[in-house]
Amino acid sequence: MEPADELLNDQASLELDADPMRLNMGPSHPAMHGTIRMVMDLDGENLVNLDVQPGYLHRGFEKSCERGTWAQVFPYADRLNYVSPMLNNVGWSLAVEKLLGIEVPERCQYYRVVLGELSRIADHFTCNGASAMELGAFTPFLWLLKVRDWVWDILERETGARMTHSFGRIGGMAAPPTPNFKDDVRQLIPELFKVVKETEIMLLRNRIFLDRMQGVGVLTKEQALSYGCTGPVARSTGIPYDVRKDHPYLVYDRFDFDVPIGEDGDNWDRFMVRLEEIRQSIRIIEQALEQMPDDGPVNVDDPRIVYPDKQDVYTTIEATIAHFKLVMEGLRVPKGEVYSFTEGGNGELGFHIVSDGSGTPYRVRVRPPCWYNLAAAREMLLGGMIADIIPTFGSVNMIGGECDR
Amino acid sequence: MPKFTLDGKEISFEPGETVMQAAWREGIEIPHYCWHPGLSIAANCRMCLVQVESGRQMAMPQLAFDESKGEYVPSTKPKLQPACQLAAADEMVVSSTNDEVKAAQASVQEFLLLNHPVDCPICDQAGECKLQDYYYEHQGSLKRKLTEPVHKPKGVRFGPTIVYDAERCIMCTRCIRVCDEVAKDHVLDMRERGNKNEIILAPGRELDHKYTLMTEHVCPVGALTSSDFRFKARVWFLKSGEGVCTGCATGCNTHVDYDPRYGKVYRLRPRDNQDVNQFWMCDDGMMTYTRQATDRVLTATSGRGEDRLPLAEREAIAKAAEQLSSVDASKLAIVLSAQNTTEDNLALAKLGSALGAERLYLAALGGWEGDDILRSDDNNPNRAGASLAAGGAALKPVSELIADVQSGEVQGVLALGWASAEKLEELAPLVSLDAVVSLTSHVGALPAAAEVVIPIADIFEIEGSFINAQGMAQSFRGVLSAPADIEPGWQKIGELAKALGKDLGFTNLDGLRKGLSDAAEAAQ
Amino acid sequence: MSQAALDRLSAQFGERILETSDAFGEHEATFAAKDWVEAARFLKDDDDLQMDHFIDLTAIDYPERASARFDVTLMVRSSVNSQRIRLRTQVKDAEKLGTLSDIWLGANWAEREVFDMFGIEFQDHPDLRRILLYEEFIGHPLRKDYPIDKAQPLVPYREVTDITKLPPFGIEEGQPFARIDWEARLAGGDHQVSPAIGVQQGQRRTLSDSEAAQQIQARIDARMAAEAASPADTAEEDSGE
Repeated sequence: MEPADELLNDQASLELDADPMRLNMGPSHPAMHGTIRMVMDLDGENLVNLDVQPGYLHRGFEKSCERGTWAQVFPYADRLNYVSPMLNNVGWSLAVEKLLGIEVPERCQYYRVVLGELSRIADHFTCNGASAMELGAFTPFLWLLKVRDWVWDILERETGARMTHSFGRIGGMAAPPTPNFKDDVRQLIPELFKVVKETEIMLLRNRIFLDRMQGVGVLTKEQALSYGCTGPVARSTGIPYDVRKDHPYLVYDRFDFDVPIGEDGDNWDRFMVRLEEIRQSIRIIEQALEQMPDDGPVNVDDPRIVYPDKQDVYTTIEATIAHFKLVMEGLRVPKGEVYSFTEGGNGELGFHIVSDGSGTPYRVRVRPPCWYNLAAAREMLLGGMIADIIPTFGSVNMIGGECDR
Repeated sequence: MPKFTLDGKEISFEPGETVMQAAWREGIEIPHYCWHPGLSIAANCRMCLVQVESGRQMAMPQLAFDESKGEYVPSTKPKLQPACQLAAADEMVVSSTNDEVKAAQASVQEFLLLNHPVDCPICDQAGECKLQDYYYEHQGSLKRKLTEPVHKPKGVRFGPTIVYDAERCIMCTRCIRVCDEVAKDHVLDMRERGNKNEIILAPGRELDHKYTLMTEHVCPVGALTSSDFRFKARVWFLKSGEGVCTGCATGCNTHVDYDPRYGKVYRLRPRDNQDVNQFWMCDDGMMTYTRQATDRVLTATSGRGEDRLPLAEREAIAKAAEQLSSVDASKLAIVLSAQNTTEDNLALAKLGSALGAERLYLAALGGWEGDDILRSDDNNPNRAGASLAAGGAALKPVSELIADVQSGEVQGVLALGWASAEKLEELAPLVSLDAVVSLTSHVGALPAAAEVVIPIADIFEIEGSFINAQGMAQSFRGVLSAPADIEPGWQKIGELAKALGKDLGFTNLDGLRKGLSDAAEAAQ
Repeated sequence: MSQAALDRLSAQFGERILETSDAFGEHEATFAAKDWVEAARFLKDDDDLQMDHFIDLTAIDYPERASARFDVTLMVRSSVNSQRIRLRTQVKDAEKLGTLSDIWLGANWAEREVFDMFGIEFQDHPDLRRILLYEEFIGHPLRKDYPIDKAQPLVPYREVTDITKLPPFGIEEGQPFARIDWEARLAGGDHQVSPAIGVQQGQRRTLSDSEAAQQIQARIDARMAAEAASPADTAEEDSGE
């Protein structure tokens, strides 16, 4: 042995007194999806302590809802999980319809399912793509974004906007499906499968990708339950909970689909769960398109809830009055309190609403799935290294709009 | 106490009351258009139909559609009674929310809207329209009639204050009854029948009595609109405050509707007060809201006529103090105002007694023709209050002040308010004096004759009280903040007193009001 | 939601449940504030219920209610038997409620948010500070008496003794480009220029004007001068700075 090696073997002589270094990451940081600040204490590269500080995108969603009418919440709801806005719209409509005690026609329910699943696919594409990109795999990211844009094209044709659609309405949707809706979606489906396959081929046997994702950012099942994680984060730890299966809403009980469950709760499992969920969502879409009626009303037939046709508003007094009342005072929701939950892109998206009988919500509480997922992120990150923050944080899919509201 | 049950709630009533009246007293509203608590019963709108579930049931024959047979078959339905006309009976059970009643209400509402024009965007009643409210609550269905609605005259000028739109009218006859029973002038009536019904004026007449704006007030829809308020403001932007009318000594209670964004009062509405004005106000009283924004004095000035120059606040107070102290107290006249609140008058009276000035006068408008309905002969709201402020001492009119100035007995005047029966020419002797100070909110003859003019806040901007002709003290709060941060009269008088070296013993309104109850006792 | 869970709760707590409800199919039990922690712990620990999956904790403000101003609700679920339940309690203004963060870890952040938005304090919470809003925020926004358009005062940049270094950053921090102290520069003379600009202009500058950096720089300059003077001599020196 060289004299230098002997020196190195004597650990005591190499121990330098050192304090952990405090490093601030964010809130403005390329790897921080949205804006999150993480203050960490580092021992070399290892995280000794970590304080995750959300709230930089807090826009006062809950307070703003108390100022408008029930229908005026839709633009705000869109901007919650803004990568899967249709799911938020649907969640809010269902919550208010639960309080009103109405159910939308079947055609609308299928329409909501298809648009919602398309949004979910877009969400998972974004998350997985961004995860891959941050580890250096730029190509799959661009492929996934390409196909995400095709999904957005369909959504644009249907709703008028690529992202924040504001397309849901209480008692239905803003407009019926376009005549080519089913054909457009059916044409896209093979492309979706193709890109998912390509991504798998590119990433799933890549040594670097495997090393950085497997065994990194581990969350145990008990921790996930205690933190209140839901969605892909919880399912990756082995918790078999999916709102679409356990408490089916809309027409989800008519579809045959699987819910992918992971085992280890690491980044790899989260990535794979999302990838597999894309396939299952496409399966749901195929079945929904099969079963969806081609004609029939999309909105509930009640001028006290749904805006009447513009044609009628300009020519009959009843529709004018209905429109006036709905816009000025808001539709009247009977007094009550309800918690309505659906499966959002990140987990159980709940709307806990309180109505005082008027057209203005009294209290709107959003149960954001990634709020609790982010709380659990501390467990995933502690003890790891700085470089592990990137893939781990990406796999939590913390969407700032939903987390901070 | 006899009781009847309405929708499961027991309501006690006086014998002779109707179900509608008894429910109204309890705060329960049965939907109605033509009923009004202050008018006679017409029972023509049929919106207040209720079912009497106790006693012998009356039924009406009808043809009902039988689903199983697929055709209309004879059957019966219960005969519903109009609650506005139904005399309450002991132990009666009434329902205004069961299915029969709901169907009746939906039908009545549908009929009323059958030929109604699509005027909501341009109709002043939007936002406070019963048709809108009851449509949402009781009908909620779209139009079944596909033919052209019946067209009738629109925008008919009924008089200088009222415009009538026959298409919007639901023929509830509230306006006819108001003219008959409140204004005691049968100038409106209905003509034609069925869907050609219209309200018309008596031949050769126009709607020109003194309570025309009450027809607009009682109209539940936008058929009768006030030409003054038309198209000026949307009601959902207006907030309401409680006020008292300053038109005459009756002191009708009002709702003051103002827009907080612009700080402007847009209209008054009568406020119910059984002891004073019941449900009504006269036209002149309704129009007193315009004074909030017209002819205001917003800056202190010195000099008269062409020599008038603006002064800063402190300078004005200092100059006024200087001029008043130059006058001997026995030659100083204190002029109280019957148009200002009791509190303002009290502050001035206190200043007078602190200075040792015992000559008290009262400036008031000259009176107008009252009637035995609501208008008092005295067109000043607070003569009694000014007397109370003076501690019951006799208040001489301004005509005597002019005489006293001419004779040289008075050499200085401290006047509150803008109102005087005399015109500027008659006040010429005051113009020759140097020490004439006026505390005023509006332009007027007295301020024009004054050497120093100090602005004070108007009635809509201050808290205060009036004592009406019946001797009732009615207090009100301001609804707006005064322009340019002008202070209330009593506060300004306090500052003037300080400048004169006197302490009047109050720093806020409560302290001032304590003196009021003492003065009231002294007056008795 | 499930009736069975509600029944089990009623069996255990009996009279201590103030009210139950199953409106809209959601089962709920109301407890007094003093029983809050005990009831929640029972939900987690009981063998029949095993409510280990935390869902949500939030508050509702009823300022006109005379008895107690706030409603605090807890929603939990059992991953074992899929039952769900909601607990509710009523808390007065300025009253403290027991924390649930040692029963479910998710309650930590949920309670921090309730504190931030409503001002309800939780007894024994390990880290009760604001979470969504910054520490200098005045007031609790979701209270009904907090007006939505209230302006907050500007706060000085934290942990900086020199207050003239106002946000966003001081001269040497943040973006290197365009961070030029123009006043000093136009006044002429020795002004601070951001290091990157200095490098671009070919100047050698220290990363900091602090004394220590200047001393280090002085030593480096000295060594370089010495090396330039006699390159061979300094090769073996190892001063271990």
